[in-house]
Amino acid sequence: MTVAEPETQIALPVAATPNPAGLRRVARGLRLFARRSPMSAFWGCIAALIVFMAVAAPVLAPYEPLKSDFRAMTRPPTERHVFGTDQIGRDVLSRVIYGSRASLTVAIGAVLFGTTLGALWGLASGFLGGRFDLLSQRIIEFLQSFPDLILAMAIAMALGAGFGTVIVAISITRIPFGGRVIRAVVLSLKEMSYVEAARGVGASKLRVMARHILPQCIAPYLILATTHLGVAIVIEAALGFLGVGIPPPTPTWGNMLADSLNAGLIPPWWLVLFPGGAITVTVLAFNLLGDGIRDILDPRLRGAV
Amino acid sequence: MYSYIVRRLAFGLVTVFVVSVLVFVILRILPGDPLVAIFGMEGFTKLTDVERANYMAQLGLSDPLIVQYLHWLRDIASGNLGHSFFRAESVGDMIARRGPLTAEIAFLSVVLSWIVGVPVAIISALKPNSIGDNVSRFLSILFLAIPGFWLGMLIVLGLLFVFGYRAPLAGASLFDDPVANLQIVVGPAVVLGLGQAAYIARMARSSLLEVIREDYVRTARAKGLSRRPVISRHALPNALLPVITLSGILLGFVLAGSIPVERAFGTPGLGYSMFIAVYERDVFVMQNLVFLYSIIFVLLNIAIDLTIAWLDPRIRYQ
Repeated sequence: MTVAEPETQIALPVAATPNPAGLRRVARGLRLFARRSPMSAFWGCIAALIVFMAVAAPVLAPYEPLKSDFRAMTRPPTERHVFGTDQIGRDVLSRVIYGSRASLTVAIGAVLFGTTLGALWGLASGFLGGRFDLLSQRIIEFLQSFPDLILAMAIAMALGAGFGTVIVAISITRIPFGGRVIRAVVLSLKEMSYVEAARGVGASKLRVMARHILPQCIAPYLILATTHLGVAIVIEAALGFLGVGIPPPTPTWGNMLADSLNAGLIPPWWLVLFPGGAITVTVLAFNLLGDGIRDILDPRLRGAV
Repeated sequence: MYSYIVRRLAFGLVTVFVVSVLVFVILRILPGDPLVAIFGMEGFTKLTDVERANYMAQLGLSDPLIVQYLHWLRDIASGNLGHSFFRAESVGDMIARRGPLTAEIAFLSVVLSWIVGVPVAIISALKPNSIGDNVSRFLSILFLAIPGFWLGMLIVLGLLFVFGYRAPLAGASLFDDPVANLQIVVGPAVVLGLGQAAYIARMARSSLLEVIREDYVRTARAKGLSRRPVISRHALPNALLPVITLSGILLGFVLAGSIPVERAFGTPGLGYSMFIAVYERDVFVMQNLVFLYSIIFVLLNIAIDLTIAWLDPRIRYQ
């Protein structure tokens, strides 16, 4: 998952194999992106850096994230521990760096699973219509009658703590949104004359759906997916903060914030500032990247997603 | 109009029923053994089979699931909502004692979100791409990204460091002790209000920009009205309709957001008890609170839909 991926889609509407000409087109697409929305390109780079940080965590982190140093407990930031240490002497900087792994894995997992499933469901229900559509719409409405964090909490609590559980819990909250947006897109596409033409020459329903409707849904899907990444990161952090996320000692930003409150009535400021700052910067980066992708791919979708 | 109200309410009833079934399925059928939750894994293994069976019978967990579900419905109808695993207080009493605080927070935060969001949107929309517009857009993007509970923790810490001030931790009712009550409520309300204001400012800005380009606004200007009444009397009422709907959807954001935010502030409200329930894996409390929050969310959204239909004849006569 790198930032280059979405842009590839802009520059090459038809899937292309990586060859010199293809690479040049990708580079041109990226340049175009940077020129049209420099702000988004900048935050896209930040997002790429965060992804890099997660991948290269063992190299970047100055200390082991789980190793306690009992000679240096609850120390404010110093030169040795740039972000300070927590109550049992673990280096906060290393934990923040490793925390990006949990956040991004959960967010990407939830989007790949939940948003995609929702999108495919929306595609099918919008395209097939009829009773299936009616039933799907009702199910989606029922799912949406829970505020999403509460639904995620209930599911995470019921299934017991763990990486997989958190991903499933957040995915389920993403399904209705994916379904709604893509269904609306499909409903308008269905009326297009090129779809009618495809039907006219005798293409089967499945073929029309896969070859003519699906490719047009990729742009809205990408926009939706980047926005959902941000939402998923916040929900994951909230779950960790409430004690139903990925169980400790795995360092996640939400767990770190929850731990800071266990220190006593007044949490040390460095235990609060840095993990929360990491959440904010990451969410900001993905949201602004998403905005930029939306502006380029489809200005008409402004406000719709 | 009447048929619209009836249809909306009927669907609301169905939703309430389905939500209750979903909550029951998620929290009572999915989880493993509730005794493990109560006694912990270690305590659970120490229990004999007879003890286990006794506890299950006491908690009403050895009945068939359908009977358990009907018992729950009976508890809801009688209003006491069953008991917590760990505490003597019935869930109904807990809601009555702690609910008002959270309701106050929710109400204040919605009011605040409009007071902040709408003027910011007007400033933005009247001069697109001006400095004011860019600053307010940046702020709303920033507040969309900041998790409310983290902002809450920062506010608590900041107040402590700078003023040595901490909001009272014990609950206080608005009528008995309004000063203490407001001190407790203000923090969470501000955090949740700003979070919503960011969404509202964004939505109201784009909605206003769209309405300002409409013919009837140009006509109003052309017949000689000055800018101010055209905006406030002609453009705003129409531009704010979608914002009302959004505000209803954001209620979900407030209800759910109040849980971590109340945890961050240590507010003794219902959100905090939900946090405790989750933390202790207290299925009974959780089930009732999830149901309560969803019902409030559904009913308020129906109320908002009806308000919109009342305000907007285009929907009423559809």
